[in-house]
Amino acid sequence: MLAQQLVNGLTVGSLYALMALGLTMVYGVLRMLHIAHAAVFTLGAYAGLAAFRATGSFWLALAAAMAAAVFGGLAMERLVYWPLLPKPPIATLIASIGLFIGLEELFRIVAGPQPYSFDVPVRLAELRLGPATVTAPQALVILVTAVLLAGLWLFLVRTRLGLALRAVSQDRDVAAACAMNVRTVVSLNFALGSALAGAAGMLVGIYYNSVYPTMGDVTAYKGLAIIVLGGLGSIPGTVLGGLLVGVAETLLIGLVEVPFPRDAWAFLAMIVVFLFRPQGLLGR
Amino acid sequence: MNPLTFRLLTLGLAVALVGGPAAAQDTIKIGFFAPLTGFAAADGASARHSAEIAVEEINAAGGVRGKKLELVVYDDRHDSKEAVALANKLVERDGVAGVVSGSYSMPSRVTAPIFAKAGIPMVVAYAVHPDVTRAGPCVFRNGYLGQVEGAAGAEAAVKHLKARRIAVLTVDNDFGRVTSAAFIERARRLGAEVVSEQIYKLGEKEFGPYLTRLQGQPIDLIYHTSYYNEGAQIVRKARELGIKAHLEGTEGIDSPKFLELAGPAAEGVTFTTNLNRDDPRPEVQNFLKKYQAKAGVAADMVGASTYDAVKILARGIQEGGTDPRAICQTIANLRDYPAVTGKIARFTKGEVTKPVQIQVVRDGKIRSLAVIDNPEVITPPVQ
Amino acid sequence: MYVLTVATLVGIYMILTLGLNTITGLAGQISLGHAAFFGVGAYTLALLTVTGGWPFWPALAAAVVAAGAFGALIGALAIRVRADFLAIATMGVNFVTVSVFLYVPLFGGALGIGGIPGPSLGGVEFGKPSFFGLTAAAVALALGLNLWLGRSWAGLAWLAIRDDEDAAGASAVDVRKFKILAFTLGTALAGLAGGLYASYLTFISASDFGFPMSITLLCMLVLGGIGTNRGALVGAAILGTAPEVFRFLADYRFLTYGGLLVLLMRFSPAGLLGDESRLWQWACRRLGRSGAPAAA
Repeated sequence: MLAQQLVNGLTVGSLYALMALGLTMVYGVLRMLHIAHAAVFTLGAYAGLAAFRATGSFWLALAAAMAAAVFGGLAMERLVYWPLLPKPPIATLIASIGLFIGLEELFRIVAGPQPYSFDVPVRLAELRLGPATVTAPQALVILVTAVLLAGLWLFLVRTRLGLALRAVSQDRDVAAACAMNVRTVVSLNFALGSALAGAAGMLVGIYYNSVYPTMGDVTAYKGLAIIVLGGLGSIPGTVLGGLLVGVAETLLIGLVEVPFPRDAWAFLAMIVVFLFRPQGLLGR
Repeated sequence: MNPLTFRLLTLGLAVALVGGPAAAQDTIKIGFFAPLTGFAAADGASARHSAEIAVEEINAAGGVRGKKLELVVYDDRHDSKEAVALANKLVERDGVAGVVSGSYSMPSRVTAPIFAKAGIPMVVAYAVHPDVTRAGPCVFRNGYLGQVEGAAGAEAAVKHLKARRIAVLTVDNDFGRVTSAAFIERARRLGAEVVSEQIYKLGEKEFGPYLTRLQGQPIDLIYHTSYYNEGAQIVRKARELGIKAHLEGTEGIDSPKFLELAGPAAEGVTFTTNLNRDDPRPEVQNFLKKYQAKAGVAADMVGASTYDAVKILARGIQEGGTDPRAICQTIANLRDYPAVTGKIARFTKGEVTKPVQIQVVRDGKIRSLAVIDNPEVITPPVQ
Repeated sequence: MYVLTVATLVGIYMILTLGLNTITGLAGQISLGHAAFFGVGAYTLALLTVTGGWPFWPALAAAVVAAGAFGALIGALAIRVRADFLAIATMGVNFVTVSVFLYVPLFGGALGIGGIPGPSLGGVEFGKPSFFGLTAAAVALALGLNLWLGRSWAGLAWLAIRDDEDAAGASAVDVRKFKILAFTLGTALAGLAGGLYASYLTFISASDFGFPMSITLLCMLVLGGIGTNRGALVGAAILGTAPEVFRFLADYRFLTYGGLLVLLMRFSPAGLLGDESRLWQWACRRLGRSGAPAAA
């Protein structure tokens, strides 16, 4: 059973990591808590669903989910966040909360309060790993996450743009002094993070076969716990934080009887980490 | 914001708080609240559609005491503070003859004493918190108490589905806790063994950790108190993990959305509810048809219960007039009232006695499996 | 009664935002968990009166003390974390606290606590008007406390910490002590609000004190103008009445709310009446004042 629970935990953890990556990337360049990231995640799920119902293709739907998310994320950055950059961070935080509240309501008004099913036939075989079974939906989640993470990693370490991106998140002012176009890099960051969130939204929609207006709620706050756990702004830290939270929650529920909800465990873990490492697990 | 806008805003605030002149009394007003926005908005929409159907029907048949009924609709967003404010507004501003709660436990629980104090009759459609009806003599509940539904679930599990070894999954709110506790007690009394009790958070989506614990164990039945979102995840995950045990739910999964979200995994799932789709009575079939036409989806427990609640209140006003005490007396004296959600034998201290339906999903449709009408089970425990 | 109900709730919000202003506005420690302390106050009063059989007044005092003590503890732990880390840590505190209310049977569990008595004086129970009077008095008390603090040594120390924590520490301000003091006083006010809330609603459950409530409180403060008492009061008044005022918008009520927050931050990031806001500066010019004192 331990092996099976690990598989369960890694699947959830992959989804956590995917949705939290955008949060951490945005934090990296703008030093702001992007609550409305969760709305981008939901937008991706709805867009993916619409595209899937229209075309019947998983890959086209994934592309549509990511494209819609990029559009949404960039719109937020251009219209709200960038102009607020010189202002106190709390103004950006409240604006982000306002965006999230407003967009969730917009989803409900446009698509209705009821959940939609997102039934994608997964043509993957079940994978038996000793005592554990990776079911087809789990395999899909882990596979797509792995491909996206590998792509992100290659981009960051192998391309000039990736280098610029890392430089800006190290220190925006120094990067600007080195004649980098910070504005473009920030936008690129938003685009990448939003694309990942859109993909995560669609995967969550498929994995749980439901897309609904408030599906981003959990993302909104658990994502924050994960990125601070990993060390705000650290990309590997976020992936680690997501997987750790996913596995730890699953094992706590699945192996021992603990009368406490899983979210509370994630936050308790985070608070304990703070007591010993106030900068997060992989924070600088 | 410029000063002019600010001044206009202040003015608007003042006007909205002080309120306009009262409308002429050519209608009888019924207050209604439900979570029309927020996470429970889907149930709120169902409740609202059904309340409107009930009012349209009553008005088409000539209204109540020669006057049209008017529904005063408020959104409580499942928030106690909003519920308290709107309850006071209904009492004081709107001059309602009675109130229907199409909402969950917390808003119903917090507003019931306000209506009771003001002497306004209240009919609660489906909220389960036991304290709601204790607020006063004129609060009625059209839904079952958790104790009744849990016990009926145990009857179905042990007697109809022949389960001996049972696992229980409980949602961590009042509905889940009370219903599961009653189920466990009755199941044990009937000789079954409850081998596992797990509690999950409202809104949980990932049931892998809970169900993997049950994988490969000799379990006949998994009883889960859940709403359709969580319930659909539970049955999908159980089947995905190859768990063959019978899956029994509650009225929380009584929704066409459950079938849609659970997909093929819904097949064979049973649940306790108050709405029997196979009931041949014309009032039931008429409601199912009208709901489908208005909402665009098939009817559910929340809708049917709210429809009944409005009809019960209207019946009270029809016979009792505008005197609240007469309205209460009328409702309290109802016997064998033909509600869509089953024939109501009577109200005892506000709690309803009516049979519990056991429904099953067969060929993608919700059908009737059995009816629990054992008085020992369905009589609400009121002290 | 309806107006009094809304006004009483607004009063409770005002006490909460005044307390939050001490922590976030004056000392600059962003708290996303203020509702947790509100909940501690509410549950303390509820347990003491319903289970413990205490009268209202000592229970209200205990609510203030309990929330303040919890706040002092969190403040002491929070010293280790700064800025955004602190914001998220307080959010975590909120989630854990609510889970304890929901899961520990002592706190009524999923059924909450009902039948909470109201205050009485000399054997006469408070009606709605006198409860509103009590709330108004509590608001005045909270405001008086904040005004006094703003002019005290602590107020100066907090401003120094908010503007530059390291510099404040270097110039012999005991950063630790003053941070804990801000948390203690701010959360004690939340406890006062919680006690009033529990007694006013007569029924409380865990979900009343969740993270969304903390967010609402912070939105009130920032909307009014963070760092100022007038901002805390005005923000609470506007967002506290907004759900009622905007009822006519029906389905679009919260879409409007979200949209207005974004627009306000976009075009007036200092809030409506913050020191830097155009509205306030215009008002100061009209009144012939050169500028607003920082914490007036």
